[in-house]
Amino acid sequence: MIGRVPALAAALGVALAAAAAIFMLAPLAVVIASSVSASEFLVFPPRGFSLRWYQEILASSVYLRALGVSLTLAAVVTVISVALGAAAAIGLSRPGVRFAGALQGLFLSPLMLPTILLGIGLLMLASRYANGPSFAVMALGHVVVTLPYVVRTVSAVLARVDPSLEEAARVMGAPWWRRYWHVVLPQARPGLAAGAFFAFNVSFDEAVVALFLRAPGVETLPLLIYSKLEFSPDPSVAAAATLMIAMTVAVMIALDRVLGLDKVAA
Amino acid sequence: MAQLRIDGLTKRFGAVTALDAVDLDIPDGAFVAMLGPSGCGKTTLLRCLAGLERPTSGTIRLGEADITTLPPERRGLGMMFQSYALFPHMRIRENLRFPLKMRGRGDAAAQDAKIDEALRAIRMEGMGDRYPREISGGQQQRVALARAIIADPPLLLLDEPLSNLDAQLRKQMQIELIELHRRIGLTTILVTHDQEEALSLADLVVLMNAGRIEQIGAPRDIYRKPATAFAAAFLGGANLLDVVVENGLARAGDGTALGPLAAPDGPRRLVLRQEALALRDAPRPGEATLAARIVAVAFNGATSRVVVEAAGQRLELTVPAAAIEGRAAGATAQLCFILADAPLV
Repeated sequence: MIGRVPALAAALGVALAAAAAIFMLAPLAVVIASSVSASEFLVFPPRGFSLRWYQEILASSVYLRALGVSLTLAAVVTVISVALGAAAAIGLSRPGVRFAGALQGLFLSPLMLPTILLGIGLLMLASRYANGPSFAVMALGHVVVTLPYVVRTVSAVLARVDPSLEEAARVMGAPWWRRYWHVVLPQARPGLAAGAFFAFNVSFDEAVVALFLRAPGVETLPLLIYSKLEFSPDPSVAAAATLMIAMTVAVMIALDRVLGLDKVAA
Repeated sequence: MAQLRIDGLTKRFGAVTALDAVDLDIPDGAFVAMLGPSGCGKTTLLRCLAGLERPTSGTIRLGEADITTLPPERRGLGMMFQSYALFPHMRIRENLRFPLKMRGRGDAAAQDAKIDEALRAIRMEGMGDRYPREISGGQQQRVALARAIIADPPLLLLDEPLSNLDAQLRKQMQIELIELHRRIGLTTILVTHDQEEALSLADLVVLMNAGRIEQIGAPRDIYRKPATAFAAAFLGGANLLDVVVENGLARAGDGTALGPLAAPDGPRRLVLRQEALALRDAPRPGEATLAARIVAVAFNGATSRVVVEAAGQRLELTVPAAAIEGRAAGATAQLCFILADAPLV
């Protein structure tokens, strides 16, 4: 039979897939397991079973304030980068845009640049021209990091839209703003949703840029976890990280239910 | 009132000339088919009429108005796209409402009445709340057509409207298009590469080739009297037999005398339609004849297609299947036709 995979190759494939899965999931498993440890210190394998660290962080004003900062920051970053990224992607999808390829590359370049570079640069700019780092500066830094995700997801969705949809709207009498509102944006919706999801998630757990741009009173959850880990590593760190994982999974499931991940994972 | 006049219309894309100084007058109420091979400029011409392409030079007039540079959203035309371009995120009703809403025709109740009427006309009452992906290809085609005409445009543009349908549905839709045109008398311009579709639908066929109009005429005229070798070959796949005229006598390439022909001396080409050729043992009175050898026979049911070699050329003919029975590849016969009926190009 043509196309049959030899048994050895099939076994090898399964083994590789399993190894990759273990490699990707092992750290998560370690963190989740440590979070239910009854001990005073962050250890693996966990000793005993207890949910006390969850109780602790949910009652801790330090953790809750950091969570509040992170959620607010991620929300602000998501709104700004979806607005800017969608505009950029829609603009680049127009026929006859000059230097479209170069611009696309420019918009995606933060994906490839080391974020540490961005952190240093933004810190120097903020010190020179603003009053040093602040919530706004950190949001700006995160927008630079998250923008490529929105540009990428919206561009991918728009590339598959039949160009005659907009032409048809035009012939039927729609001026440009009504074409955008009634045709382009609804067609871009899966890309907008996926871009928003990525922007929110990336900002929510971004630590490098945040580390450089940390300002008094602007401590995000990843920063708090990091400093806890450095100075007093107890299982509350693992509990906080587990809640972050849970949140990401919940948003991902919601996105899949509403849109279908296959539609946006292009 | 809505006569369409096209003067010297030229469209260049870089070094490529897609339309080369096209002149065309289309009377009000006509059903015109722009016919030609891909890349002949027919689609560019349609897009210039819609306003989706800006011509390099030339003018387009609709009635009294010069619309050459008017943007498409202000032309008020109806257009149906090859892909139908139904909005996937809108229900059928909202698709039909779109042109009414964009052009501010009536309030919501008046629009609803118009939409209901359109749904009835395409026999899709009760399907208005479906999405385009939930209806069949033929239904999508009808919705697209209804959407193109619902706002009463002065001109309807159809870009290969039937090419996405299967053969049976296409035939049925052709009839519906003809009936629709007769009922509302809307000036209609159809772009197609399918010569049968052009001939059966239109009352005026514009044959295009390489950015120019090759020939304009009623379907019968353009089929029977092709003006050029291209027209003859493109319409009905006619054979072109090389002949030489000498003192009013036509001879085939191998020297066989075919008969008297009123044409100036010199090499000419005879247009021989497939159905104008017959294979017999001997010619009937008044027929010209050539000795032919059968190369291949393809049985098609009612008819057979036969390829023969005569006067050093390969010719194709379509004959009633019964007429070729008993003849097979390799056999010889007389290829007969009436010389006076064959146009010269």
